[in-house]
Amino acid sequence: MAGVWILAENLEQSIELLTIGLQLAGEIGTDLAAISWQPETADDLIAHGVDEVILLPPLTAGQALEAYIPAIVERAQIDQPEVFLIASTLKGKELAARIASRLDAGLGSECQTLCWDAGRKSLVIERLVYGGTGVQKVCCLGRPQMATIPPRTFEPAPCLTGRDGRITQLNVSPFSPVTVLEKKAREHQTRDITKARVVVCVGRGMEKPEDLEKARELAGLIGGEVGCTRPISEEMHWMPEDTCIGLSGKTIKADLYIGLGVSGQIQHLTGIRDTRIICIVNKDENAPIFAAADYGIVGDLYQVLPGLIEEIKQVKA
Amino acid sequence: MPNILSCFKWVIDEAYIKTGPSLKLDMNFVDYKISDYDKNAIEEGVLLQEKFGGSVAVITVGKPEDTKGLKDALSRGPEKAYFVNDTSFSDLEPSQTASLMAEAIHDRIPFDIILCGEGSSDLYAQQVGPRLAEKLDIPCICYASKIQVQDNQVLVERKVDDGLEVVQAPMPVLITVSPDINIPRIPGLKDTLGASKKPVIEIAGSELNAVSARLETIETRAASLERSGRKFSGDQAGIKALVEALLKEGAI
Repeated sequence: MAGVWILAENLEQSIELLTIGLQLAGEIGTDLAAISWQPETADDLIAHGVDEVILLPPLTAGQALEAYIPAIVERAQIDQPEVFLIASTLKGKELAARIASRLDAGLGSECQTLCWDAGRKSLVIERLVYGGTGVQKVCCLGRPQMATIPPRTFEPAPCLTGRDGRITQLNVSPFSPVTVLEKKAREHQTRDITKARVVVCVGRGMEKPEDLEKARELAGLIGGEVGCTRPISEEMHWMPEDTCIGLSGKTIKADLYIGLGVSGQIQHLTGIRDTRIICIVNKDENAPIFAAADYGIVGDLYQVLPGLIEEIKQVKA
Repeated sequence: MPNILSCFKWVIDEAYIKTGPSLKLDMNFVDYKISDYDKNAIEEGVLLQEKFGGSVAVITVGKPEDTKGLKDALSRGPEKAYFVNDTSFSDLEPSQTASLMAEAIHDRIPFDIILCGEGSSDLYAQQVGPRLAEKLDIPCICYASKIQVQDNQVLVERKVDDGLEVVQAPMPVLITVSPDINIPRIPGLKDTLGASKKPVIEIAGSELNAVSARLETIETRAASLERSGRKFSGDQAGIKALVEALLKEGAI
């Protein structure tokens, strides 16, 4: 039986989980199993290193993923995995906490690093606390040791040729008292900012929604996307919510971030900390974001931004 | 008419945390606050009661001295507070908080809707809500952005990774709310004065079974976000120098 489990909610993130999952399985000396409800991805999972795909039956109409919780818990009680990794999507975080509760297991949420401590015989996890001010190092005391892992924390596991794996079909009837009446797809007004190479981010220093055009122009010039701080999407509703960067929004791993009128609340900084170069424009010399930036211009956004656009146009010409 | 119970956590206000030498967190001058996301849960409880009737109370688990949080929570509109407290209830990890709260609620507190924030401002583990639902064995709906009560059911719009879902569940139910569900009120002087007259029901730790931790904190240190921070002036020369620097870095 496999000692390391991953929850294979979507293929892209599952393949990232496999990178750390396979490393842990190697150190523990055990197999790796993926819990899946998508038979079409089983071959891909096996090709990327999964030894066993534990396959759940499809959901009936009106049911959502939480309907699988009882079956996953029941199987975990039989197989007794040592480690159970789940991608920290919205659904993944909910399922992880509920499964952990039923198994009376410890769960490290949104882990930045994970490693196997051979001395403790346990997973040691690092995660951010206090809005990103602190890093908490924890280990799980119960079994399985559970962790949720943000997307793109690990590189995708390589695809191997000629791998064999088994598929175990579970014969269960998933059910949850929560029924889905309607689904509304998100309006994607922009491309996914988490995948953008350059992100131009607007903050409170922006005075009116029309001025976003200038930010878009800058982003367009350097092949970037426009994101925003929480007040811009949540209070002003100038930008869609999926462009909001920060602890409870999106985390970016861009090559370049340009903050325009962003003050730099810790929750926002947490969303950009993995960016290679942080560059900002803010008229307040004491704004906290200056301490977290590589480059900064102290100046009025409304004078600097047009100048910046002109200068970039010139060097690109 | 629903009995509504909003959960909150009294946390260190991270704005007061300083970074000491060798990345130590300096907590010597911290102040406390109601976890930001829990303010949305309290507000939503009060809004639901205004719309659908019933009652609204708050509950928290903490140390006996955390009474300032109760007053703050009550000034935001709920009728009464349940205070699960013990000197040992500090630095609880999410499974402990959920277990203690579940036991305190079960058999003692009437509820149809339990509301939680999506996570706490300090640990942001986002576990207590869903774990509490499991411990109480009731349906759980996470990341709600709109809630309606209809007969014995709740109709909830919740965020999912690819958009929104409108879901329905029978009461009793636990719902975690997204921060965009409402804008929490700012209590006025009258609200603050009125809060001290509202009842606080204490549930002592000695009345509850002891719960052991499922997570052990090995250490907590400061996260270093400091960067070189080269500053340029806002004039033409400064802009030129910045663009040159970005070109040199290969960033544009």
